[in-house]
Amino acid sequence: MIRSFPENSPVVDIVKVTKVYPPDIVAVQNVSLAVTKGEMLFLTGMSGAGKTTLLKMICCIEKPNKGIIEVGGQDVSRLKQKKIQQLRQQIGVVYQDFKVLPKQTVFQNIAIPMEVMYRSPREIRKRVDELLEILGIPHKKDIQTEKLSRGEQQRVAIARAAANAPPLILADEPTGNLDQEAAKDVMGLFEKLNREGSTIIIATHDKSIYESTRHRKIELEHGLFCSQIVHKQLPLIDM
Amino acid sequence: MAHKTYFHIKQTCRNIRQSWSTQLMTMMTVSLSVLIFTFFLLIYMNILNAGEKLGDELRMIIYLNEEVLPEVEPMYEKKITDFGDVEKIVFINRAEAFARLGNQLDSERDVLEDLGPDFLPPSIEVYPEKNFRNLTRLKQFSDYLTTLPGAQKVQYGQTWVERFGYFIELLRVVVILSGVLLIMATVFMVSSSIRLTVVAKEAELEVLRLVGANNKFIRTPLMIEGVLQGLLGSALGMGLLYLIFMWTQVHLTGPGFLNIFEFAFFKHETTASIIAIATLLCTGGSMISTRKHMRI
Repeated sequence: MIRSFPENSPVVDIVKVTKVYPPDIVAVQNVSLAVTKGEMLFLTGMSGAGKTTLLKMICCIEKPNKGIIEVGGQDVSRLKQKKIQQLRQQIGVVYQDFKVLPKQTVFQNIAIPMEVMYRSPREIRKRVDELLEILGIPHKKDIQTEKLSRGEQQRVAIARAAANAPPLILADEPTGNLDQEAAKDVMGLFEKLNREGSTIIIATHDKSIYESTRHRKIELEHGLFCSQIVHKQLPLIDM
Repeated sequence: MAHKTYFHIKQTCRNIRQSWSTQLMTMMTVSLSVLIFTFFLLIYMNILNAGEKLGDELRMIIYLNEEVLPEVEPMYEKKITDFGDVEKIVFINRAEAFARLGNQLDSERDVLEDLGPDFLPPSIEVYPEKNFRNLTRLKQFSDYLTTLPGAQKVQYGQTWVERFGYFIELLRVVVILSGVLLIMATVFMVSSSIRLTVVAKEAELEVLRLVGANNKFIRTPLMIEGVLQGLLGSALGMGLLYLIFMWTQVHLTGPGFLNIFEFAFFKHETTASIIAIATLLCTGGSMISTRKHMRI
């Protein structure tokens, strides 16, 4: 299911990006970062550090005021509407506020990205069942999401982001509302997707999910990179 | 392709389920507009047909002071045809007029016994061509015929023809106005209902945009909604009109004025065209609304 970005360039390449919200709130300042194919990266930092803004810019919800963001070799701030739509089909995003549709069932919510790509109904059913099994909520399939707990809604949002097994997954506080067991399931799913080839960027301030991993971690503070922990050989990072 | 159609139809059904009361109201408005328009159109077309039939009987009679001698008949014919083409010209002398009247009176012809065969004036009957049977042209022709040598007066049932003409003109205006009503009601109602759908689905549309749904994926179900509203609404309107037509056939037939008219329903092609036009209007309304109110 994974459609790949070009092999020889970083999946995400952020070069000296600054984002200022009116009147003069600096969310991200002069940040540079390269994320290679198949990498799992943790963006850490306190609330307001700029993690969410960075993710929003990567998936074309926000545009940078300065600098360049390339995803799959394409400068996202120069993309036309049609290209943005195509790019978004290759990015699975877990939003901090979930963005699940309350009146629709768990199945319907998770099926949306696959329907958008006109996958066969059989394929959709199979994939939804598989994801719900991994996330531990197979019995909730036909329940409206408004009747679920926050933690369950979050898992639906994660399943939706993973539905197409996209080449790039962005997750904003994906374990924020989950207990330890559920958080472990979610991280297990991310690990599985990562092993299957997806590049994953997780923005979180939950130390428990990244402390023990060997993946790269970058800490943001007031919109600036303040530290980086690298456990293995990693691509060029221009800071 | 099959999957695309499946998802578009599925999404359309979901939209309809979510706002079925609005959809129903829109469909009823479309039906009512189509019913009003087609009701007047049907009357108009039937009266036009009746007018055509009555027009076949139309003749202008020029009453003369003196009989026309056979050698001057060509001169009269030429003068008459100088104004315009006529189907035929018949010269009636006094004796023929008397004989005709006798035939018309039939069993009561004895009332003519005391009258001489020359008490009726001679006349010329002119049957105008169909192409100049409009009211103004007939008037002009009548005025022209009164200038013929020896013409006393010209008759062609002016009052009746005039009233009929005015009635048709009035009906034409009503048909045009109800047509405008149809256009405005369908486009406005459909675009409003689509706007309501868009507002109600704002969160869903945002999610669709965020997962990369293209314009076609988002807009096609809304367009199908417009098509369905137009198709079902106009078909229902035409169905209701047919029921009214059948009712009048059963209850309003018999002797009297209405017998002049042979009421007929629209031909299949006309019915199909009306439904197609209403459907197109609704689709147009839906497209306008989608483009105007939906930021993709």
